[in-house]
Amino acid sequence: MLNYVWIGMIGIGILVAVGNDVSDEIRNPYRNGTVLEASFDVQKNNASLTPTYDGEFVVPAKYIADIYGVAAPSAEIHQSARLILPASGVGTLEMAIGEGSPSIWKTMAVGYGTKDKLAGRVVAAKLSDDRKHIRVSMVLDKVSYVKIRAVTKAAIDYADIAVTLSLGLIGVMALWLGVMKVAEVAGLLKVLTKLLTPVTRQLFPDVPPDHPAVGAMIMNVAANMLGLNNAATPLGLKAMEELNKINPKAGTATNAMCTFLVINTAGLTILPATAIAMRAAAGSADPGIIIGTSIFGAGCATVTGLIAVKLLQRLPKYKKELEVDNG
Amino acid sequence: MVELFRNIINIVSAVAIPFFIVVFLGWGFFKKVKVYEVFIEGSKEGFGVAIKIIPYLVAMLFAIGIFRYSGAMDLLTAALSFITKPIGMPAEVLPLAILRPLSGSGSLGLMTELMKTHGPDSFIGVLASTMYGSSETTFYILAVYFGAVGIKNTRHALPAGLIADLFGMLGALFICRMFFGI
Repeated sequence: MLNYVWIGMIGIGILVAVGNDVSDEIRNPYRNGTVLEASFDVQKNNASLTPTYDGEFVVPAKYIADIYGVAAPSAEIHQSARLILPASGVGTLEMAIGEGSPSIWKTMAVGYGTKDKLAGRVVAAKLSDDRKHIRVSMVLDKVSYVKIRAVTKAAIDYADIAVTLSLGLIGVMALWLGVMKVAEVAGLLKVLTKLLTPVTRQLFPDVPPDHPAVGAMIMNVAANMLGLNNAATPLGLKAMEELNKINPKAGTATNAMCTFLVINTAGLTILPATAIAMRAAAGSADPGIIIGTSIFGAGCATVTGLIAVKLLQRLPKYKKELEVDNG
Repeated sequence: MVELFRNIINIVSAVAIPFFIVVFLGWGFFKKVKVYEVFIEGSKEGFGVAIKIIPYLVAMLFAIGIFRYSGAMDLLTAALSFITKPIGMPAEVLPLAILRPLSGSGSLGLMTELMKTHGPDSFIGVLASTMYGSSETTFYILAVYFGAVGIKNTRHALPAGLIADLFGMLGALFICRMFFGI
């Protein structure tokens, strides 16, 4: 199934991106080639061979709405910009896109590849008599293939993120694997394992009840329950490693592994620490109000997940994959 | 009662890790284990495991990245809203439900945004944070846990995990409607 989902995400993603870009070419939502007319407030006139002005490009909110056919921004747009008007040839206007920019321009800047800059060529410019304002007519540089560019960037960025995430695990992994090793050698895990044998025997019938994997799994679930994500992952990986020691077919997940994974993905916890922290940060009057509802939600996930995993493992297709080839 | 429960949880989350470390290492010391040497012995494996995960996580995350930024999420949201509307799920939280199993940081950002826009104590705010707390990032866990031991054939883990996610989201919606419902 993972094969299909994986290739599906990539294939559908790229197809949709191409489709969106083709539709953009036809609908022209970024109004490529349209002349924008607005006022430029001069703040600084850099005296040099080429007249260069630093200042603000001022665009009425309604103008944005009319041109692009989007909802009008809440206020007049003041865009810090630089205007270059050579004596001969084409002038350029470069805008810094930031927080206050209209969202359509933000999207365009991303599609443009710079993210914080939009530029265009000046068709006409007329300086006012007090030399404080310039009436500018300009055409923004053509924006196209926005989604394809975004997808390309996402693919590369996410590959980077994957490496950062993996490497970021090294520290906590080393810490908890060290602690676990001491607990294992000291026989502490055996004690825990014995206590919970009635439960673990039900959930993992293929794993001997006194196997070290059981101890590691119990520790992982305990860490998850307490909302200790940092500790839960290393403990879970330790459990996986132990489970893999009794895996008859390397590279294929056993029933016990799948069951253990589902317990983890369901994420049952008595302390949804991240969600509570974000609620507090957002100024909630009662950040912890979701503890009960989260336990219920994750409880539903855990129960249905366990039922699903136990039913699915009986399907002939999945049973067959577990058989060790003798050929 | 609620206040007491919350205090207990605060204390537990603060002392749990030191408690584990002290009990485990202390027990070892008490049992005359050469704690330092054994710790190093176990700790050594940390680096290898982290490195082993890299290809699995790269494969998983880059596919998710393509899917997320292509605009396919919008299509999926539009398609699924035909089912979620009748069961009373606000349209605003549907993208969160879809993104939750795919991306941890992405769904965290979405949840924060929803709480900013609608207020953390609004129905949408409560539902969004409950949904976030009701599940884990299935695809990430799958890649990391199976990657660490070189599992390539994941068998029924993904469908079971996704079924769990689906019911986690439905459970969150049900309970929130019951207690904070509109």
